[in-house]
Amino acid sequence: MSRKLTVILLAMLVLVGAMGLKTAVVAHSDGSVIMANGGAPQPPTPWPPTFAKNGGAPQPPTPWPPTQLK
Amino acid sequence: MLGPYEYVIWLLCTILEAAVLVCAFKKNALRRYLFLNVYMAASVVVSIARFDILSHYGFTSNEYLYFYYYSDSLLTIALYFALASLYSHIFSELKAERVIRFGTLFLLCATSLFSYAVVQQSTSRLVTHFVLELSQNLYFVGLVLTYVLWAAILKMRETRTRLIQLVLSMGVYFSLFAANFAVQNLYHSTGSFFAMLTPLFGCFLPLSWCYAFMKLPEEARITPSRLAVVPR
Repeated sequence: MSRKLTVILLAMLVLVGAMGLKTAVVAHSDGSVIMANGGAPQPPTPWPPTFAKNGGAPQPPTPWPPTQLK
Repeated sequence: MLGPYEYVIWLLCTILEAAVLVCAFKKNALRRYLFLNVYMAASVVVSIARFDILSHYGFTSNEYLYFYYYSDSLLTIALYFALASLYSHIFSELKAERVIRFGTLFLLCATSLFSYAVVQQSTSRLVTHFVLELSQNLYFVGLVLTYVLWAAILKMRETRTRLIQLVLSMGVYFSLFAANFAVQNLYHSTGSFFAMLTPLFGCFLPLSWCYAFMKLPEEARITPSRLAVVPR
């Protein structure tokens, strides 16, 4: 196998591993995102999850996409 | 609203990032670790710009929100290239610069394509979705790449102390954020406490790199661990 093909294989393995790790880490996530650059305070996530705050009835799917960003 | 804690940590982090550049300049390591210093310089510039936007438009404004997430994506790409430059340093004796350059660009393209594939269903704000997804995915790619580099350091019995310190601190930095994020998601009741720790962890990398540039000379060598020796 050529050197380039080996690099491509390794890169794909790294990508698969990274996405697997991401899935494990963000499991049970409430939609927040991981931010790791600098000490600036993180603003609210652009797409906040919709929480049902009144009553215990099951929440239906959101009928429209969040519209925080204009 | 933001309290004094957030501002103090933010200021401390920015000062430490600037201190890395000063230490690297004083110890003649500015050009040797160019990508690391470019990342730190970019972090300082972005911090100042974020503060400017925050003070003009407010914490919950769209301007700050957009700038924060877009600049974070650019910083993650810069951090990715800084990590790739560490690969070049570690494998310098193997003359593998071209292969590393090809691998770095290929992995960046593959991650971008994967991120696009994830968000392509979004009909609105596709670019913003893509930027955020790419930043997240590239972060985890960086995390895995750092562990691979750790393994390479152990396998190759690398002895350059400063280089080892730079790589190890990057690994700890990535791991701290990932672990903190996972714990936050697992224990929502104490999530605010762990969320408070996040900006504090941001100080770790510049602090550690400051130490590496200031206290560890380029010629310093350590004895490789016997634990890592693989019997043949």
